[in-house]
Amino acid sequence: MSRKLVVVLFVMVVLVAAMGLRTMVTAHGDGSVMMAAGSAPAPPTPYKAGSAPAPPTPYRAGSAPAPPTPY
Amino acid sequence: MPGPFACFIWFLGFLCEVAVLVCAFKKQAIRRYFLLNLYVAGLIASDIGRYRILTEHGFSSKQYQYFYYYSDAVLTLFLYFALSTLYTHVFSELKAEKYVKLGTILLLAGTALFTYSVVVQSSAKLVTQFVVELSQNLYFVGLVLTYVLWAAILKLRETRTRLIQLVLSLGVYFSLFAANYAIRNLYPSLSSVFVPLVQVFATFLPLAWAYAFWRLPEEARLAPSRLAVIPR
Repeated sequence: MSRKLVVVLFVMVVLVAAMGLRTMVTAHGDGSVMMAAGSAPAPPTPYKAGSAPAPPTPYRAGSAPAPPTPY
Repeated sequence: MPGPFACFIWFLGFLCEVAVLVCAFKKQAIRRYFLLNLYVAGLIASDIGRYRILTEHGFSSKQYQYFYYYSDAVLTLFLYFALSTLYTHVFSELKAEKYVKLGTILLLAGTALFTYSVVVQSSAKLVTQFVVELSQNLYFVGLVLTYVLWAAILKLRETRTRLIQLVLSLGVYFSLFAANYAIRNLYPSLSSVFVPLVQVFATFLPLAWAYAFWRLPEEARLAPSRLAVIPR
């Protein structure tokens, strides 16, 4: 039983470490794919074509500070 | 169509992948490292498929994009299970096969759940984004697992040279990608240098594995330094 708990603990530690490492490495990333299996040239990801910086959202024109909500 | 350098590296990588299977077959290591060889066979199949789609539809086509990332996700799963078999080899004397399997399944489920919880917030192309993100997350899980395995190898004083070579080459492979990505983001002006390097790094793993199968026999052992004769 204790061995199974050790496995669960190990899994949790590895998961936290891996996701923490990913967050650290990709903190300032441009969203491009970091690793890929095989040596074929990597295309841009299908859900984000190109690595251009994302424009501001269209529903908030200008850079004026947003006022508090009226309600 | 990608440039001649990219095509050359791709072809070189393909040759290295074929070399892994040929060397493993010649040295009768197909069955012992079955999942590793299955991963390499998957690499070869995906390279052929990618090449066909690339020549038919073009580099920027949706077909190539989808095939590339979906095949990459499948290959990542293969690599993940191949890594778990390396754990089984290292812990074979401890009779821990059952626990390695349990850990493998739990970690995969945990990674998938984490990926889903992140991806579900963006509704556009949920499945595709999940597949790509799961693949990237599994690479990081593989990176951490490889380092843990290396620590276990040192702790258990593992001496099987071929096994050590296989694990170390995986560690170097993952680390090269992570370092490349981090440097690329720190110095975006150097992207033109570091982006093509991703393709070059991808050839490293099959090259190192082919070397391990060809040059290092299964019986080869590292001479432990603690057994060295010290003159008095």
